[in-house]
Amino acid sequence: MKKLLNAPTAYVDEVLDGLTLAHPSLVRDGTAGRVIRRASGIKPGKVGVASGGGSGHLPLFTGYVGKGLIDTCAIGNVFEGPNIDSCMDAIRLANGGRGVLRLYGNYGGDRMNFDMAGEFLEEEGIRTTTVLGIDDIASGTLDERQKRRGVAGLIYAYKAAGAKAEEGADLDEVTRIGRKAVEATRTIGVALAPCQVPTADRPTFSLAEDEIEMGMGIHGEPGIWRDKLKPADAVVDEMLDRLLADQAITTGRVSILVNGLGATPLEELFILYRRAAERLRRERIEIVQPLVGNYVTSMEMAGASISLHAIDDELATLLAAPADCPFWRVA
Amino acid sequence: MTAITTQHIAGAVSGAKAAMGDLEQVLNEADSKLGDGDTGSMLARLIDRLADADPAVEPSISDAFSKLARAAMGATGSSLGTLFATGLMTASRMTKGKDSIAWSELAPLLSASRDAMMARGGAKLGDKTVLDAIHEVATAVEGLNDQASVAQSAKQAGQIVLERFFNESCKVGRARMFMERSIGTHDPGMLAFVRLVDAVAG
Repeated sequence: MKKLLNAPTAYVDEVLDGLTLAHPSLVRDGTAGRVIRRASGIKPGKVGVASGGGSGHLPLFTGYVGKGLIDTCAIGNVFEGPNIDSCMDAIRLANGGRGVLRLYGNYGGDRMNFDMAGEFLEEEGIRTTTVLGIDDIASGTLDERQKRRGVAGLIYAYKAAGAKAEEGADLDEVTRIGRKAVEATRTIGVALAPCQVPTADRPTFSLAEDEIEMGMGIHGEPGIWRDKLKPADAVVDEMLDRLLADQAITTGRVSILVNGLGATPLEELFILYRRAAERLRRERIEIVQPLVGNYVTSMEMAGASISLHAIDDELATLLAAPADCPFWRVA
Repeated sequence: MTAITTQHIAGAVSGAKAAMGDLEQVLNEADSKLGDGDTGSMLARLIDRLADADPAVEPSISDAFSKLARAAMGATGSSLGTLFATGLMTASRMTKGKDSIAWSELAPLLSASRDAMMARGGAKLGDKTVLDAIHEVATAVEGLNDQASVAQSAKQAGQIVLERFFNESCKVGRARMFMERSIGTHDPGMLAFVRLVDAVAG
């Protein structure tokens, strides 16, 4: 697989250099330079929102550092959690004196390192809470929802918790909102072609030219089934069937995210959105603030995910609140 | 020699580093069946950092373990790497104030590290992870007080655990999603530990 890079081991640091040079609102920080934070720093008295995860998913995670979203982000190597030092740096840099919400996806390395970082920082008097993204319905049954992994739906939790923190809410309230946003969000993805970690000598998985895999994770974790590629409308119908069976949209309103995984043209995402919008209209579900684009990717993986974020008045207000980062702006 | 010193620890790290030359792609290959195919590369990077840390110069084995734990933590945030660091931190705590320990103390050290890794990562024995390999080796070297016997028993135990779990399915973490597909494969973390024990035991 061909990639434009200089050296596999320099991949992450050169990405972060380029990201911060292109977007002066972001700066690299932390002992190893593996924290991205707002250039303006944390506002004293504001609850901080820190996140983190492995590289290879831009705009997630570092791309969502900005006003009304997250304050800091610890970043690891490709598909590896950030190390403990970077997690500690990210939490410290997000601390404006009123505590820090740690908001990240449910993956072993991320969880262990953020947990240890939190334990160490308790001694420094920094109060932290944790909310885990667990939106991927293909990664566990509804009974085992807490074991599910976090994927594209995490950005709705960023938006809600970030907006609440920007309002001046305290840590408990920001945490409550983060949990509520996670609870309201479900995602499922499909893959058409694999990705490859820069240090590996072959793609993460193989998928025949005429195949699709339903439910595959953003690191190539196995999905629910693999079969011949179907028309886009049939794929969207099954994704929505599964999402709606997993969560009743009792509010009658959703935001929908049709997300590209890295190598799928935007045009194809709009073909998917067209069907999804038509289908939700038939189900009498109103769409509010739809998102279509590459919001959470997986290197050069081809495919897409659909997230449904069921909103009530409180979440709708937070979703509409101003936000500004290099990859998502709400005026 | 009846005691483990910082020289032994440094020797073990050097042995592990030498072994990674061949092991890196073997472990990447094992991981490509259950993960994203970079466990070998991650571990090679981690062990390079351990070697750079030069534990031989530390005044006590507790300091040597602590230095290695910090180096491991700095090298990666992957779950396997973090678990290795957790084990090393536990070893450091358990040997506090000791210049050396008897070979017979290796078993309780491994057992305590295994328990700390279980608490940190949430996996149980039988889930087909690195923990099962550590458990098997800890049990095999219990009561042994000379280097040669420890090395021989540890290598045998590693082979046994690999064979026992080869036809089991992974029950935890990312690999659990592969269920039946994980039968007939080695868990990359378990394989890594066993092969590194082989390399260090000589």
